[in-house]
Order: sequence, then structure tokens, then C-alpha cells
Amino acid sequence: MNKPEQNLNIKMQKETQVAYKPLLKSIGSFFVSPGDGTRLVPGLVDNLSTKRYMFLVVLALLPIALAAVYFYGWRIVAMILVSYFFGGMTEILFAVFRKKRFQADGLLVTCLIFPLILPPTLPLWIVAIGSVFAVFFGKEVFGGTGRNIFNPAVVGRVFITVSFPSYMTSVWQHPMPGGFGGFFNYGADLITSATPLISYRAGEIITYTYYDLIFGLAPGSMGETFRIGIILSGLFLIVTGVSNWRVPLAYLGSVVLFSSIGHYYFPNQVALPMFQLLTGGLLFGAFFMATDPITSPFTGPGKWVFGLLLGMLTVLFRSFSGSVEGVVFSILLMNAFTPLIDTIVLKIRFRPLGREGLSHNVP
Amino acid sequence: MIKKTFHGGYYFNCEDKPREKVIESVLPPMVVIPLKQGFGREVKPLVTVGDKVKAGQIIGRDDHGVSSPVHASINGNVERITKLKYSTGPINAVIITADSNPDWQPLAGNNRNWQLLSLEKIETLLYSSGATSLDSKGIPTRFKTSSNVGRDVSDLIIQGIEDRPYNLSLPALLAGERCTHFIEGIKILQKIMPRANIHLAINRNRREIKRELIQKTEDLKWLTFYSLPPRYPQGNDRVLAATILGKRDRKTVDAEGIAVLSVGTVLNVHDAVVEGKPVIETIIALCGPGWKENINIRVRVGTPIETITGIYLDQTNSNWMIIPNNPLTSGALADFSLPVDRTITSLTAVSKNIKVQRPWSLLSAISPLKGRGCSPNIYDEVKPCIFCGYCEEICPAGIIPHLIDKYARRNIISNELIRYGIFECVECNLCSYICPSKIPVARHIKLGQQRLIEYGFTEPEAGLKEDTVEKYCLGQEG
Repeated sequence: MNKPEQNLNIKMQKETQVAYKPLLKSIGSFFVSPGDGTRLVPGLVDNLSTKRYMFLVVLALLPIALAAVYFYGWRIVAMILVSYFFGGMTEILFAVFRKKRFQADGLLVTCLIFPLILPPTLPLWIVAIGSVFAVFFGKEVFGGTGRNIFNPAVVGRVFITVSFPSYMTSVWQHPMPGGFGGFFNYGADLITSATPLISYRAGEIITYTYYDLIFGLAPGSMGETFRIGIILSGLFLIVTGVSNWRVPLAYLGSVVLFSSIGHYYFPNQVALPMFQLLTGGLLFGAFFMATDPITSPFTGPGKWVFGLLLGMLTVLFRSFSGSVEGVVFSILLMNAFTPLIDTIVLKIRFRPLGREGLSHNVP
Repeated sequence: MIKKTFHGGYYFNCEDKPREKVIESVLPPMVVIPLKQGFGREVKPLVTVGDKVKAGQIIGRDDHGVSSPVHASINGNVERITKLKYSTGPINAVIITADSNPDWQPLAGNNRNWQLLSLEKIETLLYSSGATSLDSKGIPTRFKTSSNVGRDVSDLIIQGIEDRPYNLSLPALLAGERCTHFIEGIKILQKIMPRANIHLAINRNRREIKRELIQKTEDLKWLTFYSLPPRYPQGNDRVLAATILGKRDRKTVDAEGIAVLSVGTVLNVHDAVVEGKPVIETIIALCGPGWKENINIRVRVGTPIETITGIYLDQTNSNWMIIPNNPLTSGALADFSLPVDRTITSLTAVSKNIKVQRPWSLLSAISPLKGRGCSPNIYDEVKPCIFCGYCEEICPAGIIPHLIDKYARRNIISNELIRYGIFECVECNLCSYICPSKIPVARHIKLGQQRLIEYGFTEPEAGLKEDTVEKYCLGQEG
């Protein structure tokens, strides 16, 4: 019997006592034996912890971050570090304030996704503000990882879009392909151009081929342009079981469906499905942000509905709204509807107790 | 041969499984015989301190309650009668110091030609051998040995599925002539349960054993052979009954009339009736990285676990914890002086030193969801649910464990819990096993069930009465 275990027993007791005070008094000694032995049931648990779960997402994001450095220079690393530093400080302050332990699991992902959906020329002070806002209002005010309603990275991105519109709409940098690309550059040469989506909304002729779009040769947010990498990383997450295949499939499928219908009726506003898929943050959003398990429905049918509505909203925002930020706005909006979707699915799946007696439908 | 499966479940991919051979262990110098082993109540001791006992002699029985006799497993003298501290409560035990004579005394009335024995005789043999107390519900006989009644058993399921992370392996159990013994055992059981349909479910990956069994049971028309995947918790009584007998709701599966027995129990039935051998020996699989060698050993019932660890445990690292039987439904042993009883089939030794998994150990991180390794449950912190959905994916009962957990742990006890199927839970603990946030989901579900019963819930159909719920809610607010 060594010391850490003893502490563990006390901790477990405290944790459960809050919730089950009266019951625990009667059967407490059954579950937590007084004195010796951990006696935790089950005796063995799976190796997967939340830390490793989140680390898998970071692992999947690394190639995308590396591609961003290649296309836009070392400034991207500076942006990621700033994002981690300020997001981490916010998390630590909150942990101190609430007298809870600092948990880095959610932060690892949030503060990496956040800079990847920003334009490459964004000043570092805006990155810092956005990161603080994302962690503070996106996550901590709800009680930390696992309790948040909105995807923190999306909250930060939308906040910046709304607060600093001039930085977000006009200053887009052209990627630097060829040779070592951005590996020998710190950052912007200030050759700015519009993203394909903005050009389309402005009615200009698009000069980029699908090849350019897939391999990241068109301007856009840092992490969103290297689309072949995004698809591979997204599939990696699905294969390892971290993200569910339903949401990306429903999302992308519904974008194809609604943009085909829309293009038929409004050819000037709604772009073709292939163009929709390969521009903006759609792929990144579908594989990395909409799949966030905390802010998307946990029921299977709910995931389909979630993806379907996301696709519809994205096409609507992109085609008919004043801004082209279709993906982040639709994810933010659908996050708010997540509990409602789940509730409805559960109402249908588990019938109320009836006289016939069956309390539950086994699928 | 019928192939079936169930929804959910998990394939374990543990290393350190025992080799497929049984090794005789040495006779212990002293045995501790608990007076309650397996299914049934504690029995009264029939011996007093100083008595000379023979191996196989009945030293405790109680013919009036649901119980089965307990035997001395070794020749020697009764040293004292003492209380053992189990986590479920104290149990009296008889401590016997051994002489070195390995003989044992057969039960009276056994016969190699068991077909000549009357039904009553067979049931008496089974009862007095102690075999009736094995497995979760016991073997029904005319003595009170099971919650079932022998004549009314409609389905008898014999399982050798090996679905747990560590199992007593079938080839070790059924080596050589034991396979024939096993089939004799099934025939005996068929005789005492004449109305039962008999189902034999075997791990589908054991090709040779399957072939041998099918070959030898061809002429048995009343036997149905099933080949099932070794996916946990296929061996769970309720899951197995639901898989084999078709989809039924909880009540029919739990109802009396279904008996589930393991391969080892059937072998004990054979030994008791044909050879007159009471349950004084048990085969234990030594699993996990903690043992010098991963082997199956045959030991006398009542051997203290410290005697076994003294011989077989790897002594270079002292920080082992030992988990008896299924590591998913039982925790680590606190006291190694407790004995091995009839019910123990495996001892898993794992290191306590792995505190928290390193998130950057890349090789295991990249491996897909199915078939990662496992580690001892020493996580120090329960984190909030991240709705990863793993528990729902693997739940064999088809419920959403994290949803019920959410209600149960916040102490929201209402009809919602019943509606979401809290009583469908088969208590396999797989949800607690898989949870990345290390939430004790299964324990919370169990607590929710107990809470519901406390608040007047009786039948799954009726739910709580409305006024009870209201009263309870008012109490919560105040």
C-alpha cells in the first residue's frame, strides 16, 4: 500500500460523496474499502485517455500545419505559439480561479485549430485576442472541456470576423510554392489577392484550376488550402475512431445536393458543387470542426440531421449572405441546435413508458 | 453449426495469455476453506478444531437453504476456524494444516456406468460434490442449489467462448481424454434436465476443438452447436441467452428456466458422477505480465493466493496487483492471504507502476480503436464526458450509457432513467473500461438502479408513481 493510492481513495470518495451522500453512507464501504487496496472496478481499463484522444487530433493536424508553413512562411509558427501562449494563460488563470486542476487536453486542439483557420497576414495581437476570447467565452465560461456548447475555435474565429472585418476580408496572401517554399521566409511579401470564394461573389473570373485548389496553390486561411492533406488527415481520424464518419459525409453530401439544386435555379449566386467543396474552409470544417464530439449530437440520426442542416446553411450563407464565412457561421448556429436535435432523437428512439410494458426499444 | 452474434462488444487484444497446457502445482502446506463458495449461502462447519480430515470429506453443509457442501481439499488436521475479510463481508473459513498425502476420498455411489444410476442418485452426487455451486446461478437439482428448478429448465446453455481479456483456455481444459469427459458431462446434464434444449456455444476461433466436438457429438440429436465470436461480453449470461434464444426483452432472459454453465463446470459434473471426485481442485490461468511464466496450474481449493504468488510471481518487481477472474467485473485483491476458491479461474497480475498513460507514446496512439492495450485502473482523475460515443458503440444492451450516467450521477432519479433503459444494463462494465474520461459509468448506472429501487420502483413496466417523483423533486429543491 503506497501513498498515491491512499490519496486516490480519498479523492474518489470525495468525488462521489458530493453526488450520492446518503446512499454512499450505506454502501460506501462496499465500493471504497476503508484502508487498503484500490479495489476499483473494473481492474483493467483501456489505454485511451482524453489526453491521447486529443493528441490524435493534434497528430492529424500536424501535416496541415506543416503545409501552412511551407506555403506561408515561419510566421505561421509564431501565430500558433501566440495562440497556445494566450489560450494557455487563460486556461491556467481559470484553473487557479476555480481551484481546479489545469487540464491541457482540450486546449491542445483548440489553440491549434484556431490559428489554422485565420488568414496568414493577420497581426499577432489579433491572434492573441482571438485565442483568449475563444478559450474564455468558447469554453471556460461553460465549465471547461466537455461542457462547452460552441466549438471554441469557431467562437474565436467568428469574434475576429465580426470585430476586425477589414483584416479578415481584404488581406489575403498568395501562397509561396516551388522549391523550399516558405521554409526560408518569415512571412508576407504582401502580394495580396482575394480568395476564390470572394472573387466568385464579386463576379470575377476564377483563374485557379481544381489542381491549384486541391494542392493549396490558391489563397485562403492557412490551414484550409492544402485540401488533399485535410482529406487524408480527416480519414486518418475516422479510421482511428476519433471522429465519426457520419458528420463529414452528411455535411459534404448535403453541400453537393443543395448547391446542385441551387445552381440550377440561381446560377449566378450558387457555385457548382465541386467549386463549393474545394474552396473556403468547407473540408477543414467538415473534418475537424463539425466533428467535434462535444458540440455535435451524440445520437446517430442526430449526426445525420446535423450534417444535413450544416450543408444547407453553408450553401445559403455562401450564396446569399453579405459575407462568405459560410462554414464557421453555420457550425456556430448548428452547435446551438445540438441539444434540441438530440432531445428529439431520444424522444423518438425511447418511447415513453406505456401500459404494454416495454420500456425501451432495443435497436 | 449455427453462427450468431450480438450488437456492440469489444475484442480484447491482451498479450501474456497462458500457454495451452495444465501444470500440476505443489500441495500447499496449509489450506483455507471458505464456507461459502460460489452460488448459495454460507454453510455451517461440521468439524471442530483438532479434527483429522481427509481430502474430499464434507466439512460444512446446510441442506435447508440454497447452498452446497464444502469439502476439505487436503488430508490433515483442522487448525482453527476463522473469519475472512472479503470486500463483500466476512465469511467463516476452516484452516487445515496438511500432511503430505495427496490422496483423496471419492464420493459414495459413483459409477463408471452412470447410465445405470437413478436420477436421484446423480443429483445427490452432484450436490455432495459441490459442483452445483459453480457459475452464476448454480446447477439446478432437487436440492436447493439454484434459482432454477431442474425439471423446469427449458434451455441449458454451455459456454466456452473465451470472451474475457484473459481466459482459462479451451485447449488446456479439453486436452486429450477430457474432451470425451466433457461430452459425458453434457449427457449427464441432459439426463437431469430432460426437458431442456441444450445449446453448446464455442469460441469460433478454436477450429480444432470445434471440429473434434462436432465429430463426437454428431449422434446427439438434442444438442445444438453454436460457433460464436470471442467478443466480450458474449459469455455474459444475459447476452448469451439473448444471442442464442433470439432477441427477447430483459424479463424473459432473466426468468427462470435458462441455465448457463461453463465448460469447466461440465467437466466437474463428469468428475463428480463418474469418478466420484468432489470439487477439491481447480485450474487457474496465470495471466498478465506479472508471472514468471504464463501457465495454467491445477491447485487444491483453498490454497492461499500468497502460496501461489510465492512460487510463480515474478519477484524482481514487487509492485504487482492481482485481479481474480474477470478483470472487468472485479477489482484488485487487497489481501493475498485470501484463498483460491471454486469460482476462481484466473489470476491476472499487472503492474501498479503505470500511473498515467503518456499521450505521446506514438505507436499505441496510432493503433486503431479496436485492439489497443489495457492498463490497471489507477487513473487519479475523472474528467467530464466528451461525448465520444464509445460507450454507446460497444454497449451490448443497446442503451446509451453516458446518457444514463448523466442523470444518475446528478441524482436525477425519475422515469426518464427507466425510459432510457437503465434496467437493460447487463453489468459487463465495458462502458467503464472504454471511457477515455475514466468515468465509472457502470458504477453510476448501478447506483441509479439502487436509487430507483429505494424510491419505490418495483416493476420495469410500471415506472415510478407520479406522486413519488413529485415528492422527490420537491425534496430536492428544499
